[in-house]
Amino acid sequence: MTPLSLLGVAGFMPDDVVPNAFFGPNVAAHRGMFTAPHERRHLRRDQTASALIAGAAERLIAKLELERARDIDLLFTNVALPDQAFTGCGAEVAHLLGIRPKRVVDLHNTGCVSFVCMLELARALLRDSGARGALLCCAQTAGGRVFAQEGVRHEVHAPVPGDGAGVGYVALSEVAPVLSLVSRCQPEFASDMVAEAPDGRRYWEPGTSPITLKFTEQRVAAIMHRGNAVVPELVAEACARAGVHPRELELLVTNQPNPIFLRNWREALELPPEKHHDTFDRYGNLFGAAIPINLEDALAARKLTGGALVALGGFSHAGDYAAAAVLRWRRP
Amino acid sequence: MKTPVPGALDGIDGLVRCEEFDRPALGERISELTHTVYSHDQVYGDYCTIHRHIACPPRDLFRYMQDPYSLLEWTYSVRELRPVPGDDELLVGVDAASTPIYVKTVAHEGALTVDYHCAWDQGRELWMIYLYRIVPAELVLKRPGSVVIWTNCRHPYYAHNPFPELDTDRGRTWVGEWWPLFYGGHTVELDNLKAIVEHRAARGIPLGPSLLEAP
Repeated sequence: MTPLSLLGVAGFMPDDVVPNAFFGPNVAAHRGMFTAPHERRHLRRDQTASALIAGAAERLIAKLELERARDIDLLFTNVALPDQAFTGCGAEVAHLLGIRPKRVVDLHNTGCVSFVCMLELARALLRDSGARGALLCCAQTAGGRVFAQEGVRHEVHAPVPGDGAGVGYVALSEVAPVLSLVSRCQPEFASDMVAEAPDGRRYWEPGTSPITLKFTEQRVAAIMHRGNAVVPELVAEACARAGVHPRELELLVTNQPNPIFLRNWREALELPPEKHHDTFDRYGNLFGAAIPINLEDALAARKLTGGALVALGGFSHAGDYAAAAVLRWRRP
Repeated sequence: MKTPVPGALDGIDGLVRCEEFDRPALGERISELTHTVYSHDQVYGDYCTIHRHIACPPRDLFRYMQDPYSLLEWTYSVRELRPVPGDDELLVGVDAASTPIYVKTVAHEGALTVDYHCAWDQGRELWMIYLYRIVPAELVLKRPGSVVIWTNCRHPYYAHNPFPELDTDRGRTWVGEWWPLFYGGHTVELDNLKAIVEHRAARGIPLGPSLLEAP
């Protein structure tokens, strides 16, 4: 069977650079899980996730010289907080790009690891449908839409998230084959991350207090513990299935919740810091957009050579989903 | 000279002794058991043991630790300790937000062991047991001072509060929820102990604890 190949990635960042001072005195001075990046980008009120994704996709289309009507017949999106209630962003993205994909899938789940989960779904759909290629689009919008709000931005975790979009293009090909893909759903952790308002209202109920995203206080230690363990476990499993040792990876790219997780993941996999590329200090926690954005950034930094092995991995929310993939990067 | 009675070990599976395992066979076993990296769970999942060298003579350190009121100085949050009326050995204080914590100290000077038997909410069943052994560093490291070894075992009550009806502290998270972070939490407190004791020992100040009567 022809493998799935990841043929390219591209990111697109909002132009508003937000310094730590925005969050108030000392809000960005915390350590551990709440270590703040140096800066991050925020989406403005008049900017949409769809436009951000389209910006990244246009860069990728140009880079890969794709013929959009012919080459993109599947479109996946995952958007942290979509532009509209009820409707996903996929159709709007297709409209902005001027394409008419055979199928559009707006993934509501798998947040921070959605890019890897899309690889798995795209492989199945491409094989099933005979489609030519798929655009995988991940956008983080919670920075500007949640953590910049008055009443939220002074909270300890507000400086950590940052917005951005990352896209990838995949097709069935031998060029940059995905050697292994593993994923896991851990339903018991489904309710440990909550969107809540201080006045206790549901997010759809009228009110004036801002919505924020939180882990349940009781579970913080368990979430950290689980996050520390699950990503190296799945990356190691993906490596084993690909018949390689994690030390043979030239590059590891993950989501980037905070520098503690990043440190612990690469330590557990015995990788030196330079092989685990991140953009946390510039962009903060990019949720699902981190993997394609970090991969493009690593390529620009010449950290991945043609024919070398790269692993992608991460977990979402409080650990409800986790996934990892190993692929061999395309030769020039 | 002594030797085991013939047959004394018969029927016990899994023993690795030189009579059955020669050096190469032992080498195979122990190299399989030795990993480069151990997960946090493998090391701290069921038992949390940490250790430090403290620049203070072992007997002096023992006397400081044997006094449970020293916990008011070096623990992160045990405060307001006082005797429980009608019990000569039991103290009660507060921990977390306003959770009662009961403490009984069991110390043996000959062995240089100090164990704090504790529990939240009630003093009848003390199940949070912190075990300390002080070893003269002269013996084990050929240097002055003490080595302190601290072990905590994951009692099943860490997983579930056995007496939920006694919980009156609405602001707290059950102590066992923090087990995955106990290595870090215990390390912070052991470093407190080291800092306090070394500060006083180096300056010839009485080790204390340095306390006054509070209302």
